[in-house]
Amino acid sequence: MEHNAAQMAENHGGGTKEVIRVTIILSVITLIELALGYAIIGMPPSTLVTAVKGSILILMMAKAFYIVAYFMHLKHELKNMIMTIVVPLALFIWFITAFLWDGNSYKNLRNTYDRHHAEQNSIKVEKKEHSSGEKHAQPSSDHKGH
Amino acid sequence: MATTATAMSTDTKWWNGGKSPFNVEYGKLMMWYFLMSDAFTFGAFLIAYGTVRFSTNGWPDPNEVFQSFPGLGSGYPLLFVSLMTFILIISSVTMVLAVQAGHHMDKKGVVKYLIWTIIGGAAFLGCQAWEWAHLHHEGAWWGSNPFPNMDGSKATTNFTNFFFTITGFHGFHVFSGVIINIIMLIMTLNNVFEKRGHYLMIEKAGLYWHFVDLVWVFVFTMFYLV
Amino acid sequence: MANEAVLHAHSGVETHHDHDHGHEHHHHETFITKYIFSQDHKMIAKQFLITGMVWAVIGGLMSVLFRFQLGYPDATYPWLEDILGKWAKGGRISAEAYYALVTTHGTVLVFFVLTAGLSGTFANFLIPLQVGARDMASPFMNMLSYWFFFTASIVMLSSIFVETGPFSGGWTAYPPLSALGDASPGSKIGMDLWLVSMALFVVSSLLGGLNYIATILNMRTKGMSMTRMPLTIWALFFTAVLGVLSFPVLFSGFILLIFDRHFGTSFYLSDIFLASTNTALPNEGGSAILYQHLFWFLGHPEVYIILLPAMGMVSEILSVNSRKPIFGYIAMVGSLFAIAILAFLVWAHHMFVTGLNPFLGSIFVLLTLLIAVPSAIKVFNWLTTIWRGNIRFTPGMLFAIGFVSLFISGGLTGIWLGNSALDIHLHDTYFVIAHFHIVMGVASMFGMFAGVYHWYPKMYGRYLNNTLGYIHFWVTLAGAYLIFWPMHYEGLAGMPRRYYDYSIWESFKQFGELNKFISTVAMIVFAAQILFLINFFYSIWKGRKVKEQNPYNASTLEWTTPINPGHGNWPGEIPEVHRWAYDYGKDGREFISQTEPVGADESKH
Repeated sequence: MEHNAAQMAENHGGGTKEVIRVTIILSVITLIELALGYAIIGMPPSTLVTAVKGSILILMMAKAFYIVAYFMHLKHELKNMIMTIVVPLALFIWFITAFLWDGNSYKNLRNTYDRHHAEQNSIKVEKKEHSSGEKHAQPSSDHKGH
Repeated sequence: MATTATAMSTDTKWWNGGKSPFNVEYGKLMMWYFLMSDAFTFGAFLIAYGTVRFSTNGWPDPNEVFQSFPGLGSGYPLLFVSLMTFILIISSVTMVLAVQAGHHMDKKGVVKYLIWTIIGGAAFLGCQAWEWAHLHHEGAWWGSNPFPNMDGSKATTNFTNFFFTITGFHGFHVFSGVIINIIMLIMTLNNVFEKRGHYLMIEKAGLYWHFVDLVWVFVFTMFYLV
Repeated sequence: MANEAVLHAHSGVETHHDHDHGHEHHHHETFITKYIFSQDHKMIAKQFLITGMVWAVIGGLMSVLFRFQLGYPDATYPWLEDILGKWAKGGRISAEAYYALVTTHGTVLVFFVLTAGLSGTFANFLIPLQVGARDMASPFMNMLSYWFFFTASIVMLSSIFVETGPFSGGWTAYPPLSALGDASPGSKIGMDLWLVSMALFVVSSLLGGLNYIATILNMRTKGMSMTRMPLTIWALFFTAVLGVLSFPVLFSGFILLIFDRHFGTSFYLSDIFLASTNTALPNEGGSAILYQHLFWFLGHPEVYIILLPAMGMVSEILSVNSRKPIFGYIAMVGSLFAIAILAFLVWAHHMFVTGLNPFLGSIFVLLTLLIAVPSAIKVFNWLTTIWRGNIRFTPGMLFAIGFVSLFISGGLTGIWLGNSALDIHLHDTYFVIAHFHIVMGVASMFGMFAGVYHWYPKMYGRYLNNTLGYIHFWVTLAGAYLIFWPMHYEGLAGMPRRYYDYSIWESFKQFGELNKFISTVAMIVFAAQILFLINFFYSIWKGRKVKEQNPYNASTLEWTTPINPGHGNWPGEIPEVHRWAYDYGKDGREFISQTEPVGADESKH
């Protein structure tokens, strides 16, 4: 188990230049995300809004890539190591798909067979002003364990 | 059978034993796999949040909820969270610089950038504390959601339930990251790494810190943007 | 993280062993550092094993107690009241106690015995020995892993003694029963202790798993490429990966459950009217199915966390005792890998009838049935490994063969249950009980017994008594089939699981005598396990001494260490590896150790 620290440190590519470049990229992506976020404020749900939200998610993945690849230096590790990190993450695909799919199905089931539920969800409440001190939080504790 | 020892010896030298196949010491490897596992913790939280959102008919508009800025009052959606996001990105950058200084055995640089990172982390925690206090003041807490759905119908409490649980869990990670960085700072000042001949510990602390930033990228998008 | 220094200091000390004093150690060790807060992987393995055995006795005893109720629902036993007090008023186990027993039996056996006791023991013991390492990557974290498990054990044990009793809503802890303290006595403080214990257990399993992965990847000795590793190591590697990626999801699910219990959230709760307090709860918008998804996202990989180490050890033991190379090494590794991947994709087959989307369910059927492919490959390879072998029927070998038998019998019923249409009839019946007890419970226990019998000489430098071992094996094997085989028929007839008293049901009265029979066999099998315990502890001190370094003529590295290896395993240099682990009966030689260089005129396989 001879660990040569200096030798290990050497396989790290990039320098201050790379850090500056990635910082700029991350900032620009964040600004675009925020701009898209501002653009859809107050818009009713539509295909356009969904598309914008989808592109925000893609930008989110891009940011995640830059952080992991450059800040966490994964890009400069050996390819096999990259694979051991990236391949298990593929499990998230089915993890997310199945969960959201079933969540959506649960909503449809309840809206179809639980009429009371659907009715309750269509009742409008009066919009409150978010002025301070209006109501203090009272966590409900009706069913505490003991 | 082709599965003999001789057939195996054509492997690349990395995998033949006696050395790390990834050319990293085991501590860093463990940190990476710990972060993988933590990614599944956060992933499970966020996916649970997504599942409940998908199974609920309406959902509050984040821009109606998160729209205040200290000193400016309300009506500024996305502004405060932008500040928080940039604080965390910058603290990630200073962490990278600390790690790089460590590679060059530059103690002064490590100390300088670690201090900046700690300040960034503390600032983020301060922002989060303010936001939580503000929301709590408006009546939001675990089990209590004063914000109606986007379409004006009554919302369930799961909007605030998930918000406080997940940002709280992330905040806990930021907090422990700050503590780790403070320990690293003290160790650096005591010349522990100088004596050891390498600053690999800073690198591992850095991985953790970047992971915290990474999680925020997801939390920020999921709660404030979409 | 802070183990850099540990490793360096460690390897510095260990390489200078004195050749004359086999297991004598250089740095000073007190009783506490050697037996309690030990950082030697072999001692930690024994700690896991013995703690696991204590839990197996407790969990097994619980099953005997509730089998009393199931087999003899009308009888009263005054001595039951003597030991259980108010939980068995009048000598009959109360319904609350019955459910608490069933729940704790499940939790304890699945997590504490077959996860910690099985993979904790053999991952710790075998990984450094078989890959050729002085110890785990981080011996300190390894020690923490055991002590987190120990703390989890203490908390779980304490939950049995609280006034309202331990959690009693089933080992899966589905809400709302687990989320509402008013739902049942066991859902009060007992459930909190259960959750705390399980959270500690997750931490323990993560600390251990990260260590196993880092050790297998980074600490292999020179020449030990991944494809020269014994299959035990491959299996333990995939087990660790499964644990590291799935336990955190359970952890998240539990955190949300804790919030539901104590902080007024509604992650899993919606539309609830509680009869016990006569109130409608304000919780809205949650989904109990969400918990089930989160639970089974761990729960299904957990099945393989339990099973894979047993598979790996059985592969090794079958090969050594058949004096033949394992059949299809790469196919074995590949099928382990396939099982590990599929383990993450099939969780919702536990939820076919709980409100899961039926179309989504059909995809889960497909993915579930795919597991039959790697499983069948493994069975085929085990059978072809022993086929025409020169078999040595040691107790370890018998248990390994027993494992294969049980895995086939239990695996076949899995194909039934994996079909969502059949599951409508079979879910929540004794058919399910029979299936998972045979394929996961008893089979893995057999793998564990095989491992204990096989590696006991390496662990303690003494042999277990073979005669007792044979009795133990035959009683357990016959008993396992006699207990669980009839349950298939009960299940097919629709007899549901988790009922307190079947004699009051006209449809299930016919099984009264059968239940009595099952209960009787269960008690006999439990008694046979006591035989094993006696054998185990007697042999630690009084067993026949191991005289030769390599008693089985096995080719793997653990048999190149001294009979009683010290901390650091090899007195001198760690041996270099030149070949795979399965050169048995090659070129007219009985076995060739992994440390022997490949000869110039050696044949290829």
